[in-house]
Amino acid sequence: MSTETAKGLRQPKRANEKLFRTLGIEPVPDEKKVEEAIRHLDDFRNKLRSFVVTMENCVKCGLCADNCHTYLGTKDPNNIPAGRADLIRKAYKRYFTPQGKLFGPLVGAEELTLETLEKWYSYFYQCSECRRCSHTCPFGLDTAEITMVGRQILFWLGIGPQLHTATAGAILKTGNHMGLTKAGIIDTLEFLAEEIEEDRNGLKVEFPTDKPDSDILYIPSSVDFMLNPNTLKGAGMFFKWVGANWTMSSRITEAGNFGYLMDQTRIQREMVTRLYEECTTLGIKKIVWGECGHGWRAAKMYVASYSDLPGVAKIPMTHIHDEVAALIESGQLDLDPTRNSQKITLHDPCNYVRACGLCDQMRVIMRAVTSDFVEMTPNRERNFCCGGGSGVLFDDPAMYEYRILASNKKAEQVRETEAEVLCAPCSICKAQLYPMVKEHKLPVEVVGLIDLVGHALVFPEE
Amino acid sequence: MEQFVGQIMPYFTVAIFLGGVTWRLWRWMIPRIMHNITLSPFPGTWTAAVTWWVWQIAIFWNILKFDRALWIGAFPFHAALIAIIAGHAMGIYTLGLQFHMIAPLLVSADLSVWLSDLLGTTMGLVFLVAVLYLLYRRFTVEKVRAISSTSDFLHLFLLLTIAGLGNYMRLVPDAHTTYLEARTFMAGLFTFNPVALPQNAFFMWHFFFVQCLMIIFPFSKLMHVFGFFWMRWMVNRPFKEWAPGMPGAKVQVTK
Repeated sequence: MSTETAKGLRQPKRANEKLFRTLGIEPVPDEKKVEEAIRHLDDFRNKLRSFVVTMENCVKCGLCADNCHTYLGTKDPNNIPAGRADLIRKAYKRYFTPQGKLFGPLVGAEELTLETLEKWYSYFYQCSECRRCSHTCPFGLDTAEITMVGRQILFWLGIGPQLHTATAGAILKTGNHMGLTKAGIIDTLEFLAEEIEEDRNGLKVEFPTDKPDSDILYIPSSVDFMLNPNTLKGAGMFFKWVGANWTMSSRITEAGNFGYLMDQTRIQREMVTRLYEECTTLGIKKIVWGECGHGWRAAKMYVASYSDLPGVAKIPMTHIHDEVAALIESGQLDLDPTRNSQKITLHDPCNYVRACGLCDQMRVIMRAVTSDFVEMTPNRERNFCCGGGSGVLFDDPAMYEYRILASNKKAEQVRETEAEVLCAPCSICKAQLYPMVKEHKLPVEVVGLIDLVGHALVFPEE
Repeated sequence: MEQFVGQIMPYFTVAIFLGGVTWRLWRWMIPRIMHNITLSPFPGTWTAAVTWWVWQIAIFWNILKFDRALWIGAFPFHAALIAIIAGHAMGIYTLGLQFHMIAPLLVSADLSVWLSDLLGTTMGLVFLVAVLYLLYRRFTVEKVRAISSTSDFLHLFLLLTIAGLGNYMRLVPDAHTTYLEARTFMAGLFTFNPVALPQNAFFMWHFFFVQCLMIIFPFSKLMHVFGFFWMRWMVNRPFKEWAPGMPGAKVQVTK
């Protein structure tokens, strides 16, 4: 499957029909796609207020353009958030507004065509749902909401990236993105425990899995088991240090939620259901979330509206950064910041700072576990996306090239700090930045935040 | 023509305007706020949230922060527009005595009329310059032109026409209409006893184009006047956090 169509569109590798069928989606034939899409749009305009308000109130001021990393990197007008939303808005006006029906192109109303649907597939998978557009828009219009609608309709039509669709399959099968099995999980954790013992003077850290009567359920990112082991080790060390009665679950070993990034019905819900089933099984009193940006947003802000199980709002849920920061602020942790002495800067994961209120906590931790911290500019909720958000982590040539362009702004920010280490406390950011720092020839090491905490914790046994 | 524009059309205009706005707002209320999509940092309370909205409106804070070149057009444009609309309503109704009525001990009747004239003239010119700047921007700045459709330009031309006619009436004595003439005419409309338009072609065309604006208002992006509130109600609101602290752990948060 070629990744650049005849029209020169940049698109990720598409999942085949067989894969969609395993998810219960019968791909819609080409001749029916447009009418189905219009039907779904009609549904959304009657159900989702953020969609309608964003469709009808954009005044085309153009402020969002230079505030979006995708436009800054590609200079493609369809990557201007208002332009991206227009891919749907033009059809919305044409079919659902009197001015669109009467005046067509004069008011920016156009018929929906297969060609437009191909553009949807290209541009809604270049958007990273980072919401910097919403943060900067004079009205707060949220293009990420439009991207989500676009991706959802495409999914129902049977169009989606191989990456997201295959991951959806893994979610249904194992409750995590990497397809980790219980045996694989336990194996990896044993290995990590051995590594800690070696590195830290015989320090013994246990990583419980499926332990009943646990107070805390920790939800790690599944990719930590493969790509970011230090994050997992750091979490284990933290829980040991505070003497928590904790466990992970082999049925929901995933802080992320790729359902949130493509199918916000069946697949997103699967993760939420597993979460609460496990809490019931294991007698959990509190859920503590691991380092994942979109996953934390999907958990913190969406679990209440997505759970079908009763009592959902009663189980408190915080992020591991919330817990570490609170303990640091009350002086309860023993940390040696000189163990992380290289010049380090912090990338603010979009979903943390623009959607979850997780911002100052990261700074409290950074200042306590490192000795040479510099902020990049802009920072906090004004920071730019790494370019890989919402799973834009495609490896096919056209999209890989896109990822380099999309991370141009981030590279510029990092270079300006002259830091040696880049802290990116989110799994997708890590997965984007590991290759991107090389592509941009940045001499920085990419680490997570809890990695640094684990490293800085002073254990009496050491 | 004068009879239609001055005595019949206004009733259709107001009906379409009020009915259209109500209809669109109703269409916006049918869909639900399905999920919590607030933006962080979260305001701590509803007072803080509303203060944030008011702050955004008062100085167009986001535009000031994130696109200053737009701000120098957009802010004067809107500030002048509010002043003009308020000035029309108060000035015509009180025959220019609004400042005297607000602060009778500080502002005499004559001073009030003088101020009303001065502000009207100034704001009218500021508005015109701002519209020209925004039009120029929309034509010449690539990122803005790329997302514009014909109607985006037409809106600006309509405003240019309305403001141009208004300014012409203000600056050219022969084209002038007094507060009293305007009030008599408007009073006729409001009391459902419409009278003839003032004998001034500029006034008639100004009045006609304003009605066009009111007619297209509910069916265009001009609804952003309400859209601002509808969107910010969703994305700027307080959020109650769970307290940190892990039950059963040996080390607890003590603060």
